[in-house]
Amino acid sequence: MQRIDRGILTLSIIIASIGLVMIFSTGGLDYLLRQAVWLVIAITICLLMSKFSTRFWPTFSLPIYIITCAFLVSVLFFAQSYPRRWINIGPFSFQPSEFAKVGTILYLASFLSEKKKIEKFTDFFIPLLIIAIPSILIYVEPDLGAAQIFFPIMCIMLYWAGMPLAKIIIFFSPIISAITSFAIFAWLGFMIVFGIFIYMRKKLAEIMYHLIVNPLTGLITPIIWHSLKAYQQKRIIAFFSPWIDPKGISWQSIQSKIAIGSGQIFGKGFLGGTQKKLEFLPERHTDFIFSCIGEEFGFIGVFLIVVLYLLLFYRILRIAREAKNKYLSLVVIGILSWLWYQTFINMGMAIGILPITGVPLPFISYGGSSLLACFIGIGIILSISRSKY
Amino acid sequence: MDEDLKRYQFIRTLTIGIFLIIIIFSFKLQIFEGKKYYRLSEENRIKKKYITAPRGNIYDRHGKEIANTRPAFYVSIIPALTNEDCIKRIAQILGFDPEFIKMKIMKIEKNPFVSVKIGRDISFEQVSIIEEEIEELSGVEVGVEPVRNYPYNDLFCHVLGYVSEITDIELKQLKSYKLGDYIGRSGLEQEYEKELAGTDGIDYIEVDVKGRELGKVSEYRPVPPINGKDLYTSLDLELTDSTANFLKNYPRAAAVALNPQNGEIYVLYSKPGFNPNRFVRGLTEKEWEELNNPQDAPLYNRATMSCYPIGSTIKPFLALAGLDKGMITIGTTFEPCTGGIKFGNRYFGCWKIHGRLHLIDAIAHSCDVYFYQLGRYLGIDIISDILYEVGFGKPTGIDLPQEKTGLVPDRKWMEKRYGKNWTEGHIFNLSIGQGDILATPLQLARAYTIFANKRNGLVYPHIKVGIKSDILGISRKKEAIEVVCEALNNVVKRGTGMMAQVQGFEVCGKTGTAENPHGEDHSLFVGFAPKDEPQILVCVIVENAGHGGSVAAPVVGRIIKTFMALNKGMTGAEN
Repeated sequence: MQRIDRGILTLSIIIASIGLVMIFSTGGLDYLLRQAVWLVIAITICLLMSKFSTRFWPTFSLPIYIITCAFLVSVLFFAQSYPRRWINIGPFSFQPSEFAKVGTILYLASFLSEKKKIEKFTDFFIPLLIIAIPSILIYVEPDLGAAQIFFPIMCIMLYWAGMPLAKIIIFFSPIISAITSFAIFAWLGFMIVFGIFIYMRKKLAEIMYHLIVNPLTGLITPIIWHSLKAYQQKRIIAFFSPWIDPKGISWQSIQSKIAIGSGQIFGKGFLGGTQKKLEFLPERHTDFIFSCIGEEFGFIGVFLIVVLYLLLFYRILRIAREAKNKYLSLVVIGILSWLWYQTFINMGMAIGILPITGVPLPFISYGGSSLLACFIGIGIILSISRSKY
Repeated sequence: MDEDLKRYQFIRTLTIGIFLIIIIFSFKLQIFEGKKYYRLSEENRIKKKYITAPRGNIYDRHGKEIANTRPAFYVSIIPALTNEDCIKRIAQILGFDPEFIKMKIMKIEKNPFVSVKIGRDISFEQVSIIEEEIEELSGVEVGVEPVRNYPYNDLFCHVLGYVSEITDIELKQLKSYKLGDYIGRSGLEQEYEKELAGTDGIDYIEVDVKGRELGKVSEYRPVPPINGKDLYTSLDLELTDSTANFLKNYPRAAAVALNPQNGEIYVLYSKPGFNPNRFVRGLTEKEWEELNNPQDAPLYNRATMSCYPIGSTIKPFLALAGLDKGMITIGTTFEPCTGGIKFGNRYFGCWKIHGRLHLIDAIAHSCDVYFYQLGRYLGIDIISDILYEVGFGKPTGIDLPQEKTGLVPDRKWMEKRYGKNWTEGHIFNLSIGQGDILATPLQLARAYTIFANKRNGLVYPHIKVGIKSDILGISRKKEAIEVVCEALNNVVKRGTGMMAQVQGFEVCGKTGTAENPHGEDHSLFVGFAPKDEPQILVCVIVENAGHGGSVAAPVVGRIIKTFMALNKGMTGAEN
């Protein structure tokens, strides 16, 4: 029995503490106190879980997955407000989608680790099904931001499990086809360049796939586009042309950029952010908390936060590499890709290089469910860290 | 194992690479473009709040305010912060069309955070409703601003003009104005816009995203407003009020009263009028259409913008030209008036059978037949010369915008209009002031100052005191003028203008009846008093009212009487 990885615990607590400071700056004492209570609960549960035997996780993967998915179903029926994201249990309310991420990672890891080899096209189907259930349930809440998280997690876990990178790219090339389908020349360009790439691999199945599935998705996507909700369309449009209507959705993106940019090198000082204080910045304590860091602590602050996250991710990646078995390694890489992807999406949205999808910044954004889920992830990693090779 | 290392390295590189992108873009935003975004955040935060400079007051000759300012409520919207529901609600409260408000706020091309005043001079009830719902009405503000006030409503509407909000087109041309500013539209408000307007001050206010004001920003020094300059005029409030009263039974009329010694305007009145206070709030389309109805044309200042045939009031000028040239004398007679005169195969009528008259009586009784013959004797050139000399056919230069020129039909004009072979019949018409000659009541009044002015010159009519009080000298014989003056005195004493008599004063004047193809004749009278030392000269035209002697003359008489009563004891002091 080894000791837990204290680095990971320390880093995540430091990042969460910075979160508390920023929540005080953006939301005031009331929010700070509530988040602090959640943090204490989260760390306690994290430490508790770090004591779990590593044998617990594979045994209970499927039940946990089923329970979290059941919560996702029940939220659609019992949510008291729209969008249907919250379940109330006694005095608490929580977001099942946050915990579904953990459940899905555990079960996906268990499925992938049971297979000897993961390299065929057909190996994509079961993992896709596993993520499809929570993704679709969350998508209909609706919560596009949370629903999109599962796909990159699956890709990285598949890759870690042995799937060649080229195959992942080929398999998911219809996504590129879909994106480019809005501009005919971009789409033609993709079809030709990617076609050459596949032709050089000289595999008939792959060539057939490219010639059938990609044209098909290119055709269907515009149809699906029109079935999207107006606000979802707006967000995607706004991303591509943020100055079109400064009052609308891209207004958030512009105000976020103004907040970060106006921080310059050293920032406006703690509690000095005018964009934040005067409420020009939307979702200050949740989705756009990173913009407040940029505004009040400048580039120095942004740089330090990114470095802290990188250190944390690096430590977690090492655990994934050193884990005792394939299952545990996959669980760790799953949790890593989740935290990593969400951090990137959130920051990218704050600095205006990614569309606004409403994803919290792990450990920092205000919100008990998100914080608790992150620390549950860390708890699982810590329990695994005790059993390196 | 090797494979595992490769995957590990790939994920590591990917992680570092992706977060490097975050660092690079943050660097770009915060360091390369930091200054720009800092400025944008300051613009977000700091609202330039304009402090409206009150417009200068306008005073009458006795120091009474005839235009001042009063506080009024306005409601404004910050386009960036408002929404459809909010616009609908505000439109409902103000009784506007929501599309109108949308159009008004859509016009803003620049910063959508600059608030736009959508309702001016709104009622206290409307303010109360808005204040009650202010939490739900995002981007809406209510405030108080000084606005133009005309205490006497329509009494001075034409001479003062009015103010209304600047239009988009004007805004593009006039750099010193901003959206929502009031600008002088006609009358003195337009003429003296630069002096009256003043310059707005600026307060720098910190605001939050909802536009709520959080207090002044200490880093920026506020700019104090510069109030507009006051305007002192020669207008006489009481005399104007009386004039309006004397004309109250006539729907369309104009009156000019001025000091024939220095050109100061006492009264410049036109009716129908309008209430200039209504423009502060902004007119609805319907109200605007009503004001532009072509028959009554209430926006039109008939005293300076309407041209009428001057009728018999032209006769003294023909007499003056004849006397001055030595072509006639006081005793000159022509063919007797038998109710008309035949010339060629046309018959030109007179309004009465006068018999044989000499000059004084011809003027006093306004005999057309006498003046047909005098006109024919003088010829077109002598007539047009005297008319030009007394100021017809060109603006008087009064300090009001859009003054009309009128028309003197001279030889050139006649040839252009009727060809080379225009007949003497045209001179006949001109000799009694009908036909082509056109003049504004102000031009007519000014022309008569040649008889009323002690130096026998023309004054420059003006409203602002202290300008243009010199005289335009006229090179006509003094004796000739005196003869005509005597005749004008006889008009009132025993001729057509008897109804202009004022007890205790010798009034001189001339009646006129302007034929009007569209209806009843216009009634005209120009008069001045006292005869020996004229203090006031009045010209009144009442549209479609009939003879000058019966309608306009008594009004002039009453105006002169009122003036004399008001200025009792000041006789002579003014000069």
